[in-house]
Amino acid sequence: MLWVALHLPLLSLESFAATLPPEQAGQPLALMDAHRIVSANAGARALGVEAGMKRATALSLAPQLLLGQADARRDADALTSVAHAALAFTPMVNLSPPAGVLLEVQASLRYFGGLAPLLARLQVTLAPLNHRLRCVIAPTAQGAALLSRVQDRLHCADRPALQQALDAAPTWLLGAGQVHWDTLQGMGLRTLGELRRLPRAGLARRFGEALLEELDCALGDRPDPREPVILPSVFCSQIELFARADTTEQVLHGAQILLARLVAWLSAQHAFVCRFSLLMKHEARWGHSHAVTVLDIALAEPSRDPAHMLVLLRERLAALQLPAPTLELALESDDISHRPPPNAELFPTPQSEHAGLTRLIERLQARLGREQVQRLVPVADHRPEWATLAQPAEPLWLRQREAKVAGGERPRTLPGQSLAITRPLWLLPQPQPLQERQSRPLLDGQVLQVLAGPERIEAGWWDGGLAERDYFIAQTAEGALVWLYRARLPLPVAGGSKGWYLQGRFA
Amino acid sequence: MNPRLNPVLPPASAPPVGRSAGLRATGPSPESLHPSLWRANQLGRSAENALPSGFGLLDAQLPGGGWPRRALTELMLPHLGIGEIRLLAASLAATQSAGRLVMMFDPPAAVSAPALAELGLDVEQLLVIHTHLQLRPGADRLWALEQALKSGHVGAVVGWLPPHLRSERVRRLQLAAHAHDGPAFMLREMAAQSHASAAPLRLALHSAGADQLALRVLKRRGPPLLAPLHLALPPVLSATAWRRAQVRDGADAHALQPLRAATFVNLA
Repeated sequence: MLWVALHLPLLSLESFAATLPPEQAGQPLALMDAHRIVSANAGARALGVEAGMKRATALSLAPQLLLGQADARRDADALTSVAHAALAFTPMVNLSPPAGVLLEVQASLRYFGGLAPLLARLQVTLAPLNHRLRCVIAPTAQGAALLSRVQDRLHCADRPALQQALDAAPTWLLGAGQVHWDTLQGMGLRTLGELRRLPRAGLARRFGEALLEELDCALGDRPDPREPVILPSVFCSQIELFARADTTEQVLHGAQILLARLVAWLSAQHAFVCRFSLLMKHEARWGHSHAVTVLDIALAEPSRDPAHMLVLLRERLAALQLPAPTLELALESDDISHRPPPNAELFPTPQSEHAGLTRLIERLQARLGREQVQRLVPVADHRPEWATLAQPAEPLWLRQREAKVAGGERPRTLPGQSLAITRPLWLLPQPQPLQERQSRPLLDGQVLQVLAGPERIEAGWWDGGLAERDYFIAQTAEGALVWLYRARLPLPVAGGSKGWYLQGRFA
Repeated sequence: MNPRLNPVLPPASAPPVGRSAGLRATGPSPESLHPSLWRANQLGRSAENALPSGFGLLDAQLPGGGWPRRALTELMLPHLGIGEIRLLAASLAATQSAGRLVMMFDPPAAVSAPALAELGLDVEQLLVIHTHLQLRPGADRLWALEQALKSGHVGAVVGWLPPHLRSERVRRLQLAAHAHDGPAFMLREMAAQSHASAAPLRLALHSAGADQLALRVLKRRGPPLLAPLHLALPPVLSATAWRRAQVRDGADAHALQPLRAATFVNLA
């Protein structure tokens, strides 16, 4: 058994700093509980603010100090997300509150190629969550947890080394030791080594069995079964912003932390998210209760990339009008899929190009709207305005196209053979009526020379869009070719023109 | 006469022997040392393979022998529908047959799918993007174009730029085009030819009769081309119709019988 203990010494301050807008993150911060300062960051300590001071004292020392409430639930959320990120490395992850995470990695060492590569990857995975970490490795869980609170980067390879390290550790590390700290100090028992050398019966009578139990678990003399963290099946995480968010950037800054937690939760299950929603709770205004805006983002391809999801969020948020400043953000997701990750090869392969194209089309659709990115579908109808259907580009079509390209099926090409061009590429949305001079059509005041025709198209009697037309190709004065028609029967036409209509231009 | 740079043979437009024979060293001329060195009176060569345009006359005048990749090509038109897509159809079809996507940005009118098939293009490898139908305050019509160029996954881009576009926007598109492995055609109004542009190749197109295109090369990496090129586009008209088109109004109006349009008289 090899236990890695991670201790987060500044967990409360960091989870509080995550709720701040980006420009205030570097200021002196302090957390309060029951009118006394509990913890202060480096900037505040440099100005003289200490734990245990009263609020007025602290503010007089540092007027620009930012004070926040210590919130145990917020800290627990942050710790849980660290545990979820660690679940990607081993199934046995245990939370040791208030600020510790334990991992049992003996079984994972071979897969990750050794302890050092595993620790390096763990650092990289936990980097987006933005926490200061202290890491200690030991053969027992309790021993590693205790040592991680006072030391960093310690590796006890076996029980004697652990015993040696624990002998030098202070007594207040033990829970019972903290309770009886004054008594122990009065007796001169400052380190765990001194405690161990005392007779056990006397210690048990004086300070209770709990002290001895903890020490035995730490040294490995007593079994210490731990409960692994259970991963929730549905992701739901929220963050209460310190200052109300008025701009998109502030909302996105808060959403970035939530996205990092979502990615940690996904990595623990080796899954990808298909759909997630961001809930924004706004402040109450004018008698309305708290309004909640829900932003649903559905991904064309399941993904685990926080940068891509942030880009999509940014585009959708920019198009959204929020009714009031945002107070709280929540991220929810229950739609995940287990698919193999895309390959990251040096040279573009059809798969990577398809993945890149899908992301490009997603971005375009997120910003411009789904209907603006279209593919054309030919319809078997003789009427030119019905012969083309413009449909939004769907991910299914992209996948089918990619499958065809990857399967080597090349689109129909006409290298040497040229089909006769009978249809114009540009169609006017509404046929434009033309004036006539000396029974010749006029366009922009110039007479058109009719060159070819008539081509009779009669269709549409079945759905009410009856079209009976004779089409002609005509040439303008400059030489451009246009496509005109005359309605076959002189039906009463609105506008009273003679019947020449311009429908298209040959490009 | 092939003005393209050939590292083995001396370039065709070498200075006359008599004048500088005494000054010239016995070594090779500098432009034959390396493909990146060239004289101002020679046609440039692009580092990547240029895409053949399908018109031999045009390829001979384009640097690299075809449409440039990773750079903008500006085409200036008086109005839509003079044969501009027939000019590009061969190169777009070649891009599609390589399995890559063609994207059209803001086409000026509705696109007809049967006409695309007749031109040799595949509708399955084409996407049409409209950026001007949904204008938000501060919306950027060229953002979509820039994203497609920068992504590098699109095979070819054909974009219709808005009129009166500032030159720094075009420069920005040209910078984005460096990441785009394929041709990027920007179609603009004729008035843009008097404004400076960062695109390395600029052509002005005019219709020179039925199925004929007159092309002037305004800017290219090489000596200026003064005479316009006349290209024969893939024909729309049959032979008879083409002969009819040669008859101009007034002069030989009686030689060929003008086409009668069928008219129906409403006897009701």
